[in-house]
Amino acid sequence: MVTSNNQPQIPNQNNSTSHLYDGKTVRAAAPSRKKAAGSLKSSTEIPKDAIPDVQIPSFVESLLGGPIVPKIKFLPPDKIVKNLQLFSYGILMILTFLTFLTTPSSGTVWQSIIGTGVITDSIHLIILTSAGLAGLYSIKVRDPRWMLASYLLFIFFGLRFASSQVTLAWGSGDGDVFDLDKNTWMEMFLVVLYAVSLVMYLELTNSVIRFSMLDTSIKTNEVYVMNVKNIVKKYYKSIIINPIVAGILATLVLSINTIIPYFIGWFSSETALRLENSVELISVYGVAIGSLVVFGIVGLLFAINLPLRIQKYREKEKVKELKS
Amino acid sequence: MAWSRKSAMFASLALAMYLLGLTLRNQQLVSVAVVIFVFLTYAALFSGHADVAASGKRANEWEGEEGIAFSNIVAMRKLSSARLFEDGEVKITLRVQNKSALSKIVEVRDRVPEVMRIKEGANYIIMELGPRRETFIEYTIETPLRGFYTIGPVSIRMQDTFGMFHKEKEVQVYDDFLVFPKMEDLKDTFVKSKVPKIFTGAVNIRQPGPGSEFYSLREYFQGDEFRSINWKAYARSGKLMINERERDAVSDIILIVDSRAVAETGPVSRNALVYSTRAAASLAKYFLSRRDSVGLVVYGDEIISVDRDTGKKQLYVLLTKLAGAMAKGEVPLQVVVNRILPHINKGSPIIVLSNLESDPTIVNALRDMRARNFDVTVLSPSSLEFEFDARRLDSIGYEVLKTERDVLISELRSLGVFICDWEPDMLLSTALAGARGF
Repeated sequence: MVTSNNQPQIPNQNNSTSHLYDGKTVRAAAPSRKKAAGSLKSSTEIPKDAIPDVQIPSFVESLLGGPIVPKIKFLPPDKIVKNLQLFSYGILMILTFLTFLTTPSSGTVWQSIIGTGVITDSIHLIILTSAGLAGLYSIKVRDPRWMLASYLLFIFFGLRFASSQVTLAWGSGDGDVFDLDKNTWMEMFLVVLYAVSLVMYLELTNSVIRFSMLDTSIKTNEVYVMNVKNIVKKYYKSIIINPIVAGILATLVLSINTIIPYFIGWFSSETALRLENSVELISVYGVAIGSLVVFGIVGLLFAINLPLRIQKYREKEKVKELKS
Repeated sequence: MAWSRKSAMFASLALAMYLLGLTLRNQQLVSVAVVIFVFLTYAALFSGHADVAASGKRANEWEGEEGIAFSNIVAMRKLSSARLFEDGEVKITLRVQNKSALSKIVEVRDRVPEVMRIKEGANYIIMELGPRRETFIEYTIETPLRGFYTIGPVSIRMQDTFGMFHKEKEVQVYDDFLVFPKMEDLKDTFVKSKVPKIFTGAVNIRQPGPGSEFYSLREYFQGDEFRSINWKAYARSGKLMINERERDAVSDIILIVDSRAVAETGPVSRNALVYSTRAAASLAKYFLSRRDSVGLVVYGDEIISVDRDTGKKQLYVLLTKLAGAMAKGEVPLQVVVNRILPHINKGSPIIVLSNLESDPTIVNALRDMRARNFDVTVLSPSSLEFEFDARRLDSIGYEVLKTERDVLISELRSLGVFICDWEPDMLLSTALAGARGF
């Protein structure tokens, strides 16, 4: 119907009344009630189609973020989702390899129950393989339940009593191709790489679900996205910058046993040397101190409301740029 | 800044890993926790969750580029029509402006009443809005049910690219619109007043007199107008015959709509109140087009009445009242009758639209009307049929209730009330004709 400002639409003035009564066939005579009554069952149950179908994302799906959209079967993946799936496969491979590399079976629950041996190593490998396979399957079918299973298996695999310092599966014996046992920087690099790849795996697999949901919503006209390319470009940019920043900060935290003695060395080389060899500083507690220092600074930045100040600064700069 | 479930999950995971790492003396776990914390911090700090200071304005209040505010997002809305009929369409144009010097990725959701269907476009948009840019979002909604509706507020959300944190503001911009009940085109309602008013009009009152409708033939008497002679009848009978016409007069028509809570029994789009309001709208339009005076009484939790009047303006007054009729309360018909009867001309047609349920005073109320010689017509949309069609009533229950209803209808008919048991598939004109015994 054509609408105009402040003028109501008058329904069609002809004899047709099909627009009335919800498009039902309109008869001049009343239908036979008895016939209708006879054809119906005596059940008082509310028919299923009378109940509105309200679908809310499950708890697992909501953990994965994204817009709140009705749960519907995912449509075939579009280019963005396919790309993200490919990235996820890649990062899963790297993660599985790094997990295998950085997580020996020593100190695990199954080792403490069964003891050292082939069975323990087999269980160790089975858990890792299961985590990898669950991940592969979840990425392929875009099923958040399998994704969660994969996350839990990877985390469970890493839970071990590790006697404070980093120990690598390839860090000793004949298998130590890269001489990791002696190369502490390489050790640290691998641990940081492992941590970053685990977090990236979590994020990328999340994004597969998130963008699938978004894509489905776009195709079902629930949401309209303007400048999709720009939005996706920003996401790609973030998934490159963020792990780099996370990696650098994690390296700083893990290098606390080098950084603190370096500063102390300006005042006393002897104390610096003692600190370098300190069992506490090179152990997990050193990392804890490092993270406390780093996050203390971060907390301070939040306390002074840095995000807003950065935003203001960027706004001002942009205004200046536009004026000039 | 609000946390999403995802960020809460990441933070909990990081904390758990951090503590487990310290407990198990596992540096790897602590490292993973650190990386997750960094990830979260980065999202919170650098992912452009800007200040979403936003303001809402109506389009006609917009005065240009005044008062450029920091990080400001402005939303305005325009509706194609503020008044329309059921099953009509409203085109909504939402204008969103980014008055900031930085581009922003924003999610905009314009809140639409739940009963409305979005026909074209979307009310939920994710977009990158460039610096000092504006965009127009257009969408069309269908209005399936009558009523007063409000569109708004506009929710604007900005979140980081990972969906970890978001800032949300509701822009308080609202637009109201009114959906009138749809109307059926009536040819003849068979409702005619027996009592003329002072001024002649277009309503036949079943008495011979000056008018436009044919009434009967009679013999010519001296003084009759020469142009009234029916020459064909003269040719047949050999006597001069005169065409008598039915007397026209303006009459008062009173429509009484039952909007008690029980009137809404049945599905949302198919119940007695929906049918009653549509019928009342159709009847009002028909009578007003005949230049009758039409008054309206809607009773539910209170008695709302519109005094009798004529003309197009009266039609919109009546439609507005019908649009706003809410199914509430349980005022009995007797109370309505006691209040309105002293103010109505005797003999005026009264049309009652009610499902006749849960009101023990109905028989007495209608008896009172008939006792004062009012021409009473009852159109009764059957709630039983609506319930039965929706399969919420089993056949035994239906038959029992139907028998009770038939008994009541017979009793009312014996009082001289024209009554029709209006079933869902029946046209209004058919129901009306049935009620009047044609």
